[in-house]
Amino acid sequence: MKQPWVWVSWLIAILVILSITRNPLYLVIILMCVLFVGLSLRQAGSDIPRPISLWKLAGWVILLATVFNTLTSHYGTTVLFAIPGKLPLISGRVTLEAMIYGATNGLILTGMLASFAVLNLALPVRDLISLIPRAFFPIAVVTSISVTYLPTTLRQFQQIREAQAVRGHQMRTLRDWLPLLMPLLVGGLEHAMQLAEAMTARGFASTRPMSGRGQVYPRISMLLGLLLLALGWVTQLGSAGVSGLAMILSGVLLIIGGLWYQGRQSPRTTYHRKAWSWQDWLTLVAVAIVLSVCLLPLPWLSRQTLYYEPYPTLTLPPFSPWIGLTMLGLLIPGLLVLNKNLTEGCNLNIRK
Amino acid sequence: MKSRLFSLAIYMSATLSGMLVLLYPFFLPAVSQQAGFGTLRVEQMPMMMTLLLGLCLLVLLFEAQGPMVNTKLIALLGILVAINSALRFIETAIPGPGGFTPIFFLIILVGYIFGGRVGFLMGALTLLVSALVTGGVGPWLPAQMFTAGWVGMSTPILYPLVRAFAGRQTKQGSRNINPEILLLAVFGLLWGFLYGAIMNLWQWPFIIGPQNQSYAAGLGLLATLQRYLAYYLVTSLVWDAIAAIGNVLLILTFGAPALRALRRFRQRFEFKYTPESSTGGNQQGRSLTG
Repeated sequence: MKQPWVWVSWLIAILVILSITRNPLYLVIILMCVLFVGLSLRQAGSDIPRPISLWKLAGWVILLATVFNTLTSHYGTTVLFAIPGKLPLISGRVTLEAMIYGATNGLILTGMLASFAVLNLALPVRDLISLIPRAFFPIAVVTSISVTYLPTTLRQFQQIREAQAVRGHQMRTLRDWLPLLMPLLVGGLEHAMQLAEAMTARGFASTRPMSGRGQVYPRISMLLGLLLLALGWVTQLGSAGVSGLAMILSGVLLIIGGLWYQGRQSPRTTYHRKAWSWQDWLTLVAVAIVLSVCLLPLPWLSRQTLYYEPYPTLTLPPFSPWIGLTMLGLLIPGLLVLNKNLTEGCNLNIRK
Repeated sequence: MKSRLFSLAIYMSATLSGMLVLLYPFFLPAVSQQAGFGTLRVEQMPMMMTLLLGLCLLVLLFEAQGPMVNTKLIALLGILVAINSALRFIETAIPGPGGFTPIFFLIILVGYIFGGRVGFLMGALTLLVSALVTGGVGPWLPAQMFTAGWVGMSTPILYPLVRAFAGRQTKQGSRNINPEILLLAVFGLLWGFLYGAIMNLWQWPFIIGPQNQSYAAGLGLLATLQRYLAYYLVTSLVWDAIAAIGNVLLILTFGAPALRALRRFRQRFEFKYTPESSTGGNQQGRSLTG
């Protein structure tokens, strides 16, 4: 898959499902899909250094969420045992329902963390930057500069550290960091100076600035959008009607419309435009089907199976095979990555 | 003048809307006619909050970058954000104690020297870039960017205080303590706790915990505040205290030389290009500060 937006749509589908269902059976399916896609990407060679592995993180998140909820929430009718005494927070009945609810929380959190981790694996930083809308082109330039300069900064830090060590500098107290941090800061600012001059010399930002209505309309639209957003939020919290949601939606549309209008004033040129492939379309269609099944009130699907709660008495979670089967559509990006790997491997063998 | 008023209105609306989204547990009893969150389900609230906060952040970023088509400012921000992200990268690889993070030191100082607008961009973009390079993009990112942006944006409130303290010190003739550094350290201390308290709000209503610490719909403002304080004291105080003390130590140790360097470069950046044949088309003459 070449289009970054397709990966974003896949991520949105995962997040939407995770936010609407607490059924552990569906959650396990989603988690398996996410892990499968992540493992396929790893096999394809995408990896980023992490302080802790995703498996360990998932294990800890599920374990901690389960233990925390089991010990602190005393709701539910299936009592496993009771913790005696008057320990604040902990003493009381320990129920199976609280344990299952905690594990479900852990699964949801793990799903969210894992899906973002997969996005970070799937998209190189340049593709993530290309997702920044056109209206924010100065911010995109700042982000590009920062991402490009970051490895240089780390290298510079290492060089300064080595240079100070050669001079016999030892790190004993916080103050000993001063000879390391100040050259880094001053060196960076000197570099910014040179960069600004180079950008000016190449004509960056030398075009006539937008003025008049072109600058006012998007700002009016966004200001109105914000007011509607705030009003809609308060209304939504205050009543069960749909007026709040309608106001929020109008606010969202006004803000997005303002940004879109502003973005049109800043044309973006691309040296090599990525073409939409059949893989991109296939994934988009799969995402659209999954979202439709989970969100639209289709009469032949038992959507109520999505809304499962273990409280007050634990029952087996209901399961609709059609919904479960449709969710497997989220495996498609992983299958496409595996297919690409296999094809490339075969081509290499043929050439040999 | 009109444009400045417009800008101020947008800044205020985006900030207030963001605060409304984050602080809803406290005012919910006053507006709600039923238990719960209107037509939203509990599981949908974090996504809704992320969406709304993300939109407020987008508007703030849009307004803050408005007059930023300026090579000096773009280059300066790009490099400073890279330095701060490198510090966060090192911190991710070698975690410090508790909530200690070195990033707020530079956000506060840059906001103080270059103004609230640059401070906001510095805070928000530091979190964005460091999330991109450490694989930390997640639903928490808009709230982190928003709050870190507030840290930088709020630094101009120190200007009158610094002037007042400096004036008093000149009258008394004492030169022992640099009031600027002292006030910046207090500011860092407060934000050390505030950042944690604001970020907690994002998840607190959905965490099921002991009755006297967890959120329950329908309680009054004071009772909700009391529960939140209890939750904060139990779960976050020590963590945030380490972050706050870290900010203070960094500002007290490195604040004075870093301020001198940033001031020197602000002066060096305040030059103007005057293109020969341009009739006001070039933006280089604009002020660097926000």
